[in-house]
Amino acid sequence: MHIFEGFLPSPWWQIWFVISIPVIMYGMYQLNRLVSKKREIVPLLAVAGAFIFVLSSLKLPSVTGSSSHPTGTGMAAILFGPAITSVLSVIVLLYQALFLAHGGLTTLGANVASMGIIGPFVAFIFYKAASKAGMNFYLNVFLATAIADWVTYVVTSLQLALAFPAPEGGVMASFVAFGTVFATTQVPLAMMEGALTALIMKYVVQIKSDVLVDLNVLTSSAVTKLKETMQ
Amino acid sequence: MTHILDDYAVLSPLRYKNNWLKLAIVTFGILTGVSSSSPCVPFVIALCMGFATVRFGKISAGFYLRLLAAPAGFVLVSAVIIAFFFGEGAKLFSLGVWGLTLGVSEAGLNMALLVLARTLGGMSCLFFLSLTTPMIELFSVLKATGFPDSFIEIAMMMYRYIFVFLEVAMGVKYAQTVRLGYRDFRTSFRSMVMLGSNLFIRSWEQGEKLYVSMNARCYDGKLILLDEKRPVKLPEVVLTIAYFALVVTVYYFSRGMFIV
Repeated sequence: MHIFEGFLPSPWWQIWFVISIPVIMYGMYQLNRLVSKKREIVPLLAVAGAFIFVLSSLKLPSVTGSSSHPTGTGMAAILFGPAITSVLSVIVLLYQALFLAHGGLTTLGANVASMGIIGPFVAFIFYKAASKAGMNFYLNVFLATAIADWVTYVVTSLQLALAFPAPEGGVMASFVAFGTVFATTQVPLAMMEGALTALIMKYVVQIKSDVLVDLNVLTSSAVTKLKETMQ
Repeated sequence: MTHILDDYAVLSPLRYKNNWLKLAIVTFGILTGVSSSSPCVPFVIALCMGFATVRFGKISAGFYLRLLAAPAGFVLVSAVIIAFFFGEGAKLFSLGVWGLTLGVSEAGLNMALLVLARTLGGMSCLFFLSLTTPMIELFSVLKATGFPDSFIEIAMMMYRYIFVFLEVAMGVKYAQTVRLGYRDFRTSFRSMVMLGSNLFIRSWEQGEKLYVSMNARCYDGKLILLDEKRPVKLPEVVLTIAYFALVVTVYYFSRGMFIV
């Protein structure tokens, strides 16, 4: 759910930059700390970012015929945590704006806030809480990714509603209007992406599970358990 | 998605113009477009930028129009919502749906047109930048603006690997398509999963290899860039000033002016 260049009027695009910038600075601080400790993380993160970009430029098979792309932010949040995801998503969103004409420069702040910060953050909290509660890993990934998409779309609707409140009913009325219209594409899309990510994770567990252990996504005992149930 | 806009930028004749001048033109257009209160200003900006991209940037007009249509879906849906919900007073026309009366008022229609024009203006500025300036040129700009080194490093390596993975992804997708992998919904989903997971595993291994190879070449956390000096020529300055003057004049005379 990218907001396009020029769509947000004047006070709002600045406000969203003001909200996003401190979070991104914190993310960069975290990133710098991580890099000074483990230098090999730079190429790995770069490659992961490129992966997210390429994933998000692939067209999802869709029932309705509309063109829909996965966001990849839920997966990034699960793999790298919300702080680093926010930094990666700044670069990815910038590249999407420049290379694919998705999004824009003035709306970058708003897009980062919804797709790079709030969505992944909620997804990450959900993933951690659910894995502590002992939920099945694949179900957890499915739900966390879908939730990342849904939260992103709710926040985007809210951003649009705040910028264009209805005279009768105010922000709430136009929030409902934007929300219901975009729900038709976003609800099934999020479920598609959740299923896709969960299945990708299944392959990754089968073939290269040590990556997930390295990234603290799963403990090694959880990986062995998952592998046992597969056989 | 075999071509991204950067491919056109690399071939653009405007590539070797001064980066800061291009950035100034784009920033000026985006900021005045977004802060204007009349749809005329972003419309004029869109015309000028579109002309510059097609004429000086040698982009085919048909391709350019198709690009501009890309955001159309999102923008049209949102503009229709704004038209119906925004503004009160006399309705220009209304229709009844399930007992509800939906109407478009003058203020609502004006607002929708303004948003439409702003998006058009903003996107044309963005296209001017992305169709004439490859990302390689912008890295030196990013360095000069004082972003942290690790951020720019990651951005640069990501840029490189986007092309590598796009090629891999397109190759795999092509192979899958030839084997009827996108025949219907079920098979396309399955193919998509295989493509995604393979890409992830492959990119991870690539990242590890990249670290080793860069270490072997004495990588110490800094990639040095050669920042080429490109002086601004007089005709460019004159044209830019004329463009700025035109936009500012339109801005001044069209305050509060609406189409409807």
